[in-house]
Amino acid sequence: MKPERESCLVEVLDRLLEKGAVLSADLIISVAGIPLIGLNLRAALASMETMLKYGIMEDWDRSSRESAQREELPLAEDEEVLFRAFGYLQSQGALSSWLPGVWHLTSKRLILWRRSPCEVVFEVPLREICLLEADESEGCSELDLIYSGGSARIRLTETEELRVALDRVLRLRAENYNDLMTTDA
Amino acid sequence: MTEGPRVAKARYLYAIASTREKQSIGNIGIDESAVYTIPFKSISAVVHSCEPRPYETRDRALAEGWILEHSYVIDQAMKLFGTVLPFSFDVIVRGDDSTIEGWLCRNYDRLASELQRVEGRAEYSVEIYYDYDQLAEEALRENQELRELASRIEKEPKGRAYMLKRTLDQKLKEIVASEARRQVDRAISQIKSLADEAKVETKRSQPPEKYRDKRLIGSYSCLVHTDSVNKLGDVLEEINALSGFAVRFTGPWAPFSFVKLGDAA
Repeated sequence: MKPERESCLVEVLDRLLEKGAVLSADLIISVAGIPLIGLNLRAALASMETMLKYGIMEDWDRSSRESAQREELPLAEDEEVLFRAFGYLQSQGALSSWLPGVWHLTSKRLILWRRSPCEVVFEVPLREICLLEADESEGCSELDLIYSGGSARIRLTETEELRVALDRVLRLRAENYNDLMTTDA
Repeated sequence: MTEGPRVAKARYLYAIASTREKQSIGNIGIDESAVYTIPFKSISAVVHSCEPRPYETRDRALAEGWILEHSYVIDQAMKLFGTVLPFSFDVIVRGDDSTIEGWLCRNYDRLASELQRVEGRAEYSVEIYYDYDQLAEEALRENQELRELASRIEKEPKGRAYMLKRTLDQKLKEIVASEARRQVDRAISQIKSLADEAKVETKRSQPPEKYRDKRLIGSYSCLVHTDSVNKLGDVLEEINALSGFAVRFTGPWAPFSFVKLGDAA
């Protein structure tokens, strides 16, 4: 079997960005007085995230990204996920049970989303949320959500994190709102 | 980026090569920069002169072009001077030729012995793949335990059959993986003994289309002496000929995985 020398870009990228000699920047500056000024792009390109941003690995990534998107919660264009954790929602009805899913706090909504079948189990716009508080009697893993259309009970491990995140985003919205008001005035 | 040769304020490093000659290699560098050698005693840095700022872009095609140009310079240097110590992309040193010469001088022993270590050798990459479905089929045919499990599944009621199927799948996975490994174990130790140095690659790059439906057993970067390349090819051919296996063998590359200059000052 003979070795092949494919001038495959991925192969070359792997070597030139991840391997090969580099000079330790610290050492060069402190010992030899030769400041090393390169490495930026190398370091930047080497991280997958940046490669995607630069589009270098676009072809490779397209299929995996598409499949990820199929599984991801559909978001509005300017909507951003701020917090995500596995949890449950207590179902309404005669026989109450806990519906599992992934709680998403986005810049617009609080959503319980289930991957398979892909389904939004519950959602409420942030502007409708009145209160999210721990139910003391149930220990600390359950929260009561009061919103303008009703109420719901949430169970998840990271109750405090969710509350903090919600608090922050609501405050941010309030500030933006105030800003708008001031500007308008 | 360059303002006339050898006056710019920084040097872009491609490689360290075994040559005493100061020479021009042509306008083959990044953005057609003039590539030349800066010698000190028996070794030289292969460089082009540039402004003291890194090559940065958001333009994908441009970045790819730069990287291929860098790679091309290293290949040309290997043709001219034998095995070189390749630099990673975008290693730029502020200063002029004398700065580089001073650096070569201070690190001469270190660089010369590194060059000696890789002399007459090159890096080869070996990836061994196997066809899971094919090996699984064989295992289901030949493994007593799996056969029994499979036949029980057919008789059991739905719920129990489901649980048994999960056990079967798990067992099958383990058996196929260990069988695949067993078949190439001897070959892998031969590969390691033929190489002066071998490294297991943990980061998996995207393999070409024909390997995509296969699973990777192992990926190795090997520093191999020219005299041993044919023997390595023979060992790999044996694996490649095994039913359900495929080997990807690439090279020769400059010793990217084996060059260590981290603490050179």
